[in-house]
Amino acid sequence: MSKIRKHEKPEEFTLTRRKLISRFGALGGILLTGCDTQFYKPPINRGGLIGIADTLTMASQRMLMSNQQLVQEHDVSEITENFPVWNQSDPDDEEFQRLKAGNYVDWRLPITGLVNNPISLSLEDLKRMPNRTQTTMHICEQGWSAIAQWTGAPLLSVLQAAGGIKPEAKYIMIDAYGGWYEGYDMFDVVHPQTILAYGMNGKDLPLGNGAPVRLRVERHCGYKQLKFIKSIQVVSSVEGFGRGTGGLNSDFGFHWYAGA
Amino acid sequence: MLEANKNWIHRHTTNARICHWIMVISFFYLLYSGIMIFLHFPELYWGKVGFQDYPAIFKLEDWGISWERAEELGDRRWGRNYHYTFAWVFVLNGLIYLIWNGWQKKFYRKMLPTRQELSIPHLKSEVKRHAKFRAAKGSAAAKYNVLQKLTYLIVLFVLFPFMIISGFAQMPAFTAISPELIDLFGGRQTARTLHVVCSLLLVLFVVVHLVQMVVAGALNQLRGMIIGKYKITQESNEVAQ
Repeated sequence: MSKIRKHEKPEEFTLTRRKLISRFGALGGILLTGCDTQFYKPPINRGGLIGIADTLTMASQRMLMSNQQLVQEHDVSEITENFPVWNQSDPDDEEFQRLKAGNYVDWRLPITGLVNNPISLSLEDLKRMPNRTQTTMHICEQGWSAIAQWTGAPLLSVLQAAGGIKPEAKYIMIDAYGGWYEGYDMFDVVHPQTILAYGMNGKDLPLGNGAPVRLRVERHCGYKQLKFIKSIQVVSSVEGFGRGTGGLNSDFGFHWYAGA
Repeated sequence: MLEANKNWIHRHTTNARICHWIMVISFFYLLYSGIMIFLHFPELYWGKVGFQDYPAIFKLEDWGISWERAEELGDRRWGRNYHYTFAWVFVLNGLIYLIWNGWQKKFYRKMLPTRQELSIPHLKSEVKRHAKFRAAKGSAAAKYNVLQKLTYLIVLFVLFPFMIISGFAQMPAFTAISPELIDLFGGRQTARTLHVVCSLLLVLFVVVHLVQMVVAGALNQLRGMIIGKYKITQESNEVAQ
């Protein structure tokens, strides 16, 4: 039974447990086995007092976001000039440099793993898919923030284009040129504002901001907004990737969940 | 041992003492880890947006510590992990303290100033006494004085909640959970700046708190906060109660 909430969000954006299941259904007939608490903890618990705090932070925030509310979208007049280029700005990677020289015409995004119909998308394919434009705040874990407008294909539609995910799928692992990789759970995958962005402020995504395609997972710090995307794998466990914590940032000792 | 038993009182309840020391530890870690995080981005801004080369209202550089030097000194990975860990310790400890004490009448008697204490002449004389670094004696020393009460109330119910809420307003998840909260501050960078300002006020409180402890007799105060026993020094014209 669903409770009537005082501030009912527009239908499209509300995502109750039932709708979440139906969205998963759209992904390929998946049943949510177990309970929602799988979204309350990171794939690997760090243990100790820090591990307890990790789970408390993630669980409490996920509970408060269980409607899958959208993040605040800003007016285009608030777009930041000179949006910072942070961290990797031009991957030192032979393949990437070749793709860049060819204006990414040969860039392909393979979507493999626990999907029903593995595919490989070109930039044009991605641009032909349903898209979403959002003006949001980028918050870096270091302290800075800036506003930009992003255009891209919802990650959910991209996975649907690959035939949807298999029932045992739990995480998606995204590889980037330059050696970065990061993992995300389905709670973020189904969020309407989680997009594979190829446009920024009305133009093609600039090199320094992650050309040709970067991820926007708006409810996280900058370190989860992977740039220079190379491939997507749907998996049931994060084992076997890097040190096995579910992402390069958590391999380095940051919290896998970056909502705080 | 306790000759003239009547000179000893039970100063702090067990729960107040336990919560006090847990708070001391978590406050220390929160401050230290907060500094470690700040050093990796040693500038403050006003409004929604702020980054390197954006007009800053505070730059550590102007105080002789270059960006590079600050980066060497800081450690935001350690800082972030410990900041959130001890934020939870701090918040849960605070809730336990409030629940444990909130239903007891004596808590309000201890913490709330009386109407007489809030009268202008009384406040004046208390300010004067504090300005001369003179500790309260006799029965007056057995309870909090009015300035002490007001300070504790401000720290507990204004500054602490402000730290928590301005912390929330910096979290990316809150752009979905409650963007209104971020707007209330006037933007994420303003929340960050005020978080730092409020932490400096808390540091100021700790300094004054420690000075007052020394003025009132550090050993006696510490004993009061550790085992609860507190010795009252009688004034010659006052009869022991």
